[in-house]
Amino acid sequence: MNRLVKQHQKVSIDLMPTEPTTSRSTRSRLCNAAIGLGAATVLASCASDAPQDTWAPEGKYAQDIHNLQWPIFMIAGIVGLIVFGVITFVVVKFRDRGQPIPEQGHGNALIEYVFIAIPALLLAGIAVPTVAGVISLNDTDDADCVVNVTGQQWWWEYDYPVEADGTICGAQPTGEAAPIITSGQMVIPVDAKVVIRGTSRDVIHSFWVPKLNGKRDMVPGRVHTWNFQAEQPGIYAGQCAEFCGLSHANMRMEIVALDKGDFQAWIDNQLEPYQSPEAGTLAAKGEETFISQCSRCHQVDGLTDADGELVVSAPEQFVWSGAAPNLTNLMTRNTFAGASWDLLTEDAREAVWEASADEFGALYLEGVTKGTLNEIDLKEWLRDAPSKKPMYTDPENLEDTDGKTRGMPYLALSEDQIDELVAYLIERK
Amino acid sequence: MALIEKPAPIAVPDVATPSSSYGVFRRPVESTGWKSWLFTIDHKKLGIMYGAVALFFFLVGGFEALLIRLQLAGPDGTILDADKYNQMFTMHATTMVFLFVMPMAAAFANYFVPLQIGARDVAFPRINAFGFWCFLFGGIFLNTSWILGGAADGGWFMYAPNSSVPFSPTSGIDFWGLGLQITGIASLTGAINLIVTVINMRAPGMSLMKMPIFTWMILVVQFLLLFAIPVITVALFLLMFQRNFDATFFTVEAGADPLLWQHLFWIFGHPEVYILILPSFGIVSEVLPVFSRKPLFGYPLVVFSGAAIGFVGWGVWAHHMFASGLGPISVAVFSVATMAIAIPTGVKIVNWTMTLWGGKLIFTTSMLFAIGLIVQFTIGGLSGVTHAVAPSDTQQTDTYYIVAHFHYVLFGGAILGIFAGLYYWWPKVFGKLLDEKWGKWNFWTMIVGMNLTFGPMHVVGLQGQPRRMYVHTAARNGEGFFNITFWNLVSSIGAFILGIGVLLFFINVVISSRRSEKAPLDPWDARSLEWLTTSPPKEHNFDVIPTVGHLDEFFHLKYEDRGEGDHHDFQQVATAEELIAEQEANADEHIHLPSPSYWPIVLAFALPVMAYGVIYNLLLVPAGAAIALASMFGWSLEPHTASPADYDPPAPEGGAELEVSTNG
Repeated sequence: MNRLVKQHQKVSIDLMPTEPTTSRSTRSRLCNAAIGLGAATVLASCASDAPQDTWAPEGKYAQDIHNLQWPIFMIAGIVGLIVFGVITFVVVKFRDRGQPIPEQGHGNALIEYVFIAIPALLLAGIAVPTVAGVISLNDTDDADCVVNVTGQQWWWEYDYPVEADGTICGAQPTGEAAPIITSGQMVIPVDAKVVIRGTSRDVIHSFWVPKLNGKRDMVPGRVHTWNFQAEQPGIYAGQCAEFCGLSHANMRMEIVALDKGDFQAWIDNQLEPYQSPEAGTLAAKGEETFISQCSRCHQVDGLTDADGELVVSAPEQFVWSGAAPNLTNLMTRNTFAGASWDLLTEDAREAVWEASADEFGALYLEGVTKGTLNEIDLKEWLRDAPSKKPMYTDPENLEDTDGKTRGMPYLALSEDQIDELVAYLIERK
Repeated sequence: MALIEKPAPIAVPDVATPSSSYGVFRRPVESTGWKSWLFTIDHKKLGIMYGAVALFFFLVGGFEALLIRLQLAGPDGTILDADKYNQMFTMHATTMVFLFVMPMAAAFANYFVPLQIGARDVAFPRINAFGFWCFLFGGIFLNTSWILGGAADGGWFMYAPNSSVPFSPTSGIDFWGLGLQITGIASLTGAINLIVTVINMRAPGMSLMKMPIFTWMILVVQFLLLFAIPVITVALFLLMFQRNFDATFFTVEAGADPLLWQHLFWIFGHPEVYILILPSFGIVSEVLPVFSRKPLFGYPLVVFSGAAIGFVGWGVWAHHMFASGLGPISVAVFSVATMAIAIPTGVKIVNWTMTLWGGKLIFTTSMLFAIGLIVQFTIGGLSGVTHAVAPSDTQQTDTYYIVAHFHYVLFGGAILGIFAGLYYWWPKVFGKLLDEKWGKWNFWTMIVGMNLTFGPMHVVGLQGQPRRMYVHTAARNGEGFFNITFWNLVSSIGAFILGIGVLLFFINVVISSRRSEKAPLDPWDARSLEWLTTSPPKEHNFDVIPTVGHLDEFFHLKYEDRGEGDHHDFQQVATAEELIAEQEANADEHIHLPSPSYWPIVLAFALPVMAYGVIYNLLLVPAGAAIALASMFGWSLEPHTASPADYDPPAPEGGAELEVSTNG
């Protein structure tokens, strides 16, 4: 039997590391622990001012979520540290130091039950506020403001309906009330419970403005309600958060919150009647170009053609999902093409986005001016939209969509036409 | 490998010997050469092939991942355009889930379940072979899409209506759907096979609670597959009819609800993730006791928690849908259920830790991977608990925080477990050890790479970077040095380090194969029956089917408790070599093995023919169906063993004379 034992030991010495490798292994483990700690410290330094930071809530509902989540993260972190601590301890203390075969224990009922009970109790504790949170976050009654939101490949449309009492999003328009249709930036009043009624015209999208709330999917054929309440004026960045095809990465949006006075001004401006450009200007030429090149898809309310007829767009004939952004007051917002590019130059953008809560409203209401217009991106877009943003617009490839595009096609505009259009569009305020 | 020998003429046959084979060609009976692999029905050869093909697809999926990380290394990357990127992340996930992790588990299960339960093969060897060929042909078929108009581009979750033709006009999604149907057949047939094997073919004395823990986890997985695969099969059928035959299952204008797809997919998808992780849990539950030199702590509870995870796993699918517009009651219920499932998972972590506690820990590469799993999976599991909180999840879902979670549980869990199994069982399968020094480099490089790649994703996800986007822009990435742009770069560098780590494994394989030194029969002083064999095992596995008296039977054959009462004193009484020699001396006289067959591969071949038919020319569908029908006919009429007429007379090699006879 001794011979057998010796043979066994020989086998173990040859193949299984004993003293030298285990201490090296232990040193490596300590090394790894140090790396881990260092990493944790480094990771603690994150981006400051990430515009979509889910841990920097700025609206009521995002704050509710955060109040629920950070304690749970802490608990998870502590549990993790305990587990790592125990593993590190075990790995050091019980490494093979030539000791005999250990006690062949099969288990211990008490330990088992304690370590089932502890997580069960912890989780029960977490479950209660979770369920409460689910229910409260889903309460979309008693809205101060309702906006219909529609996602479409690859931009967002906002439709502000006129309520029964004549208000639009809680504000009483000074002039005649009519539904307001915009895109890209959804403007809301501060301190108001804004409920969006969201859907999609094509595939599933998801409306996500992290600093104000979690995300809610926008599903074709269904209407989902979701809440937003901003506490301060400002721009809140968001992105479509459900994979929706080619330009999912280029489908952004912002929520813009204005204090009550500024919001009233915004509503009233949106409802101002259409003003034609001055005759003989480049902008007037642009109006003609717009009618011939753009208006079949893009609606500008109040635009009339040479015969004085109202120009009404029919995007459902040209676009698979059936709509294109309404450009009536394009320059009152400062992003375009699914909020993928800025209409403002870099400096102007910074001034608006970084403005303090007091100054923001006035700056935003200035809109885009000739001096602050970002001509480069806008002209590139007009020149060849599909090369700037991946879309399905190649006329050779449209059989599966009955010849209709998904996105804005290449229009083969001349440079003159582009200049005219820019001159026309800059006046859309 | 033992030859299947031509039987000596029997004067009074007590079993019927067939007089001719059934088919156009002579039945393949080769035991060496490529034919012995192409037509094999031996679970061990099939296991090796499953493993080799799975590792190949691991490299494919890894390459796809590296392209993704290259694209996302900086803002507004230009390596992959939007279309290619969408194909890349769809195929990366599909490849890793369906063509690597699942078949790798099948490789281990096929090779080791019969050995662990003391059987000579699985219950249905030809179906086993058929399953493998389905997997291989399905995987190849799926990947031919790259050169036939573009791969699937709707994400591995393939939400409707984005998966419909107007939104995805190439045939990529058809390749995806049909390819997964074919590989799904592999999973389903494998599941039935292994369930019957485990229930019916355990060695005498091996009750279910004396069965090795790896086999238990595999058994749970097979039940999960049995019920989950049909769900995805239905979903894929609906999708195929939607895309190819103008069905309106997902057409909103016709009144369809796109959430139907989500429910079907995730009712499959959630059990699927337990299918992915439980085999690795089983491997780790084998490895830790061996290298702690003590039994698994709380074996019954590890078994029951595995079964509990399998069971409760059916009740949590909608936690993938918290933002999708389900009502608050559904969300609340699924949220609580998801928390509940953390409990049996936590049990395992406790049991593994307590297995190590008080042990005599030996840090072989296999053991390092196993301990690595405990640490890395815990991270992934804890982030999973944070997702269970539904309101919080509405911020986390569809961001990189989720990507971080599942890569920690899949890479840090499933894949580290797979590598633990590879290092552990390699000497048994191939007769040579993998090099331990290269192994340690392999392990540490992978750990560093893994954490550098997926660690920062927690941060960028919580800071607002959504997933499935071909670019991330500077405008959303925040100020400061450690902003989203920075962490994406770190992730990308980490991914390449991880790639090097994986490469080190393959280098280890090559280097070790060049060494002539044979591995001992029982290099780790292991505990379970698969080690009571030669390395590699003989074709019939065991010369004598052991009678089992204990859990960890092999350990108890080698070590006897000489202590009294509560004082235990285990002394070694036998080595593996001695036990094998004893077996050989008492070898069974009549060992029944079925013969190889070509019907499995022929039948499997019919499936991609039909699949190409659906995409390109419907005439191929009946053509493929005809091959399938003929194969099924030939298969059923084929005797289990080859007739004497099929053999060239081979020179009999020494060893026991095998009498061929009808058997499963």
